[in-house]
Amino acid sequence: MKNKNQTSLKVALYGMDQRSYKMMSLYLKGPCKGLATVVNETEAEIDLLDADHIKARELLDQLQSKTPTRPIIILSLEEIRLEGTIYVKKPVKMNDIIAALKLAKESLGARSKKNKVTPIKVVSEALDPAPVKKTIEEVAERKQAATKHIDNEEKNKVSKHRTARDLTESNFSAYIGNIEGVDFSDSEQVLKASYNPKSYFLGYVQSALKACKANNRVLKLNSSWKPLIIFPNTHEVWLDAEDKQLRAFAGLAIKNNGAKSMSLSPIDQDVSSLNNKMEGFYDIDHFLWKLAVWTSKGRYPDNLDINKPVYLVQWPNFTRLVVTPHAMRIAALLIEEPRTAMNIAKVLSIKPQYVFVFISAANVLGLVGQARRQVDELIAAPEVKPSKTKGLLSRILSRLRG
Amino acid sequence: MSQYKIIFTGPVGAGKTTAIDSISDVPPIKTDSTATDMTKNRKKATTVAMDYGIMNLDDGEKIHLYGTPGQERFDFMWDILTVGGIGLILLLDNSRADPFQDMKFFLDSFSGFISETSVAIGVTQMDLSSKPSINDYHKKLQELNLKPAVFSVDARVKNDVSLLVQALLFSLDPGLEDE
Repeated sequence: MKNKNQTSLKVALYGMDQRSYKMMSLYLKGPCKGLATVVNETEAEIDLLDADHIKARELLDQLQSKTPTRPIIILSLEEIRLEGTIYVKKPVKMNDIIAALKLAKESLGARSKKNKVTPIKVVSEALDPAPVKKTIEEVAERKQAATKHIDNEEKNKVSKHRTARDLTESNFSAYIGNIEGVDFSDSEQVLKASYNPKSYFLGYVQSALKACKANNRVLKLNSSWKPLIIFPNTHEVWLDAEDKQLRAFAGLAIKNNGAKSMSLSPIDQDVSSLNNKMEGFYDIDHFLWKLAVWTSKGRYPDNLDINKPVYLVQWPNFTRLVVTPHAMRIAALLIEEPRTAMNIAKVLSIKPQYVFVFISAANVLGLVGQARRQVDELIAAPEVKPSKTKGLLSRILSRLRG
Repeated sequence: MSQYKIIFTGPVGAGKTTAIDSISDVPPIKTDSTATDMTKNRKKATTVAMDYGIMNLDDGEKIHLYGTPGQERFDFMWDILTVGGIGLILLLDNSRADPFQDMKFFLDSFSGFISETSVAIGVTQMDLSSKPSINDYHKKLQELNLKPAVFSVDARVKNDVSLLVQALLFSLDPGLEDE
């Protein structure tokens, strides 16, 4: 609301389109409490220029030549210090613009007292216009250069950037396939259902990845199946195989003969031929996650103690991973504090196998760890308090999941 | 009936308008106009007021989807927009010069709202510029003592935007289930 005792400054706006002009007018009238009123340039006492406008330099030149006595307030994302002008950093904060307007008002008053006849140039006459232009041009150039190099080849790696597959309980079994010897409807068997990742293709891929990173070179993992090429620098793997083939191989425990056929060899020759099969490129995290899901099949990795709490380092990048049933709920719960797998299953009222498969996959990416603090074991993880808007949030969730 | 909102924010060109379009049940009301300032280098049109879409729920309730103006000079509108907001979706353009600076700017600007609700971050344009990586974002967020969901997002892909909003909802209440 306008203060009745204050005189509104008359401001002309430059470097704004019609909508921005209207918006700024309302801003000065409302949040800035009518300290200034927008008028046309002939009536104005102060000029307000958006220095990020593409023609800001020309506009500034015009203002300096046409109305050299007027204070100029400059708005810009980047700091521009020009003698005689008042700079306000974007985004414009109410207090900043009010302070700038008051400063401009004081400047007007001072000049009025000092000399009512001879106009005082706000932008110093001693200042060479060239540096003024240069300052704004430099800012513009930096903004132009701000766009990074665009990698067109990257766009062709469709598997790498494909959106997530979102699994529900109903299609989970079909996706992971069956595992012999475990009845997941038997709660006792579920607890004993662990696996050793090192006995599967997953373990060999993890070892190969370590070797690649340690040597910082592209390596090929040879097996009795298809070769896997690992690119440590771009965090990619290349494999010419369909998902169902990979799923089958991932679920096979690799025994003596299979282990003997596993080897790593350097890739010294040109790998440009792979460019013909760009769909074979996967992000390493996506590949490992998927491999872990197909290796786990709902079992717990035996390198973690099922009775001890685990913590989640960060949310997995779910939009580029296979989202197993309840994975997002598990992540949201676990990011808050460490919990045991069975506690998670209990709190969320879900089958333990969904927790196991999530922990398996997150463990492979180094996103979960076993809580080592004794306090994490001694203090029971709290129950989850339902949100006050739980019903509403659930309905939004249902709507999103269609 | 209450007015429930999900707020989409982020720098110019991060995909706020497109993301709202992806999940809105009605064609979003766009307030784009020809970009005239620094945004011109990045896109021909930009949001100068706000974008608006609606998600219709089964019981007749409507969820209002608001996109904040892309041009930072209008940040005074943000406080008004967030009143009654369920949570914040922050979209960041990975091809911009300093997306970390963008992230910090928006997290700081909405810190009050985030502390009362939650935030989920979507990083767009990763197929054009793969660095910084999602892990790099998490490292920066840890410095700010924050652990939000950070996903690669193609704002044109409904599933990406849907998963991001789901992450926001689960951050608010991990116990949520479909109704």
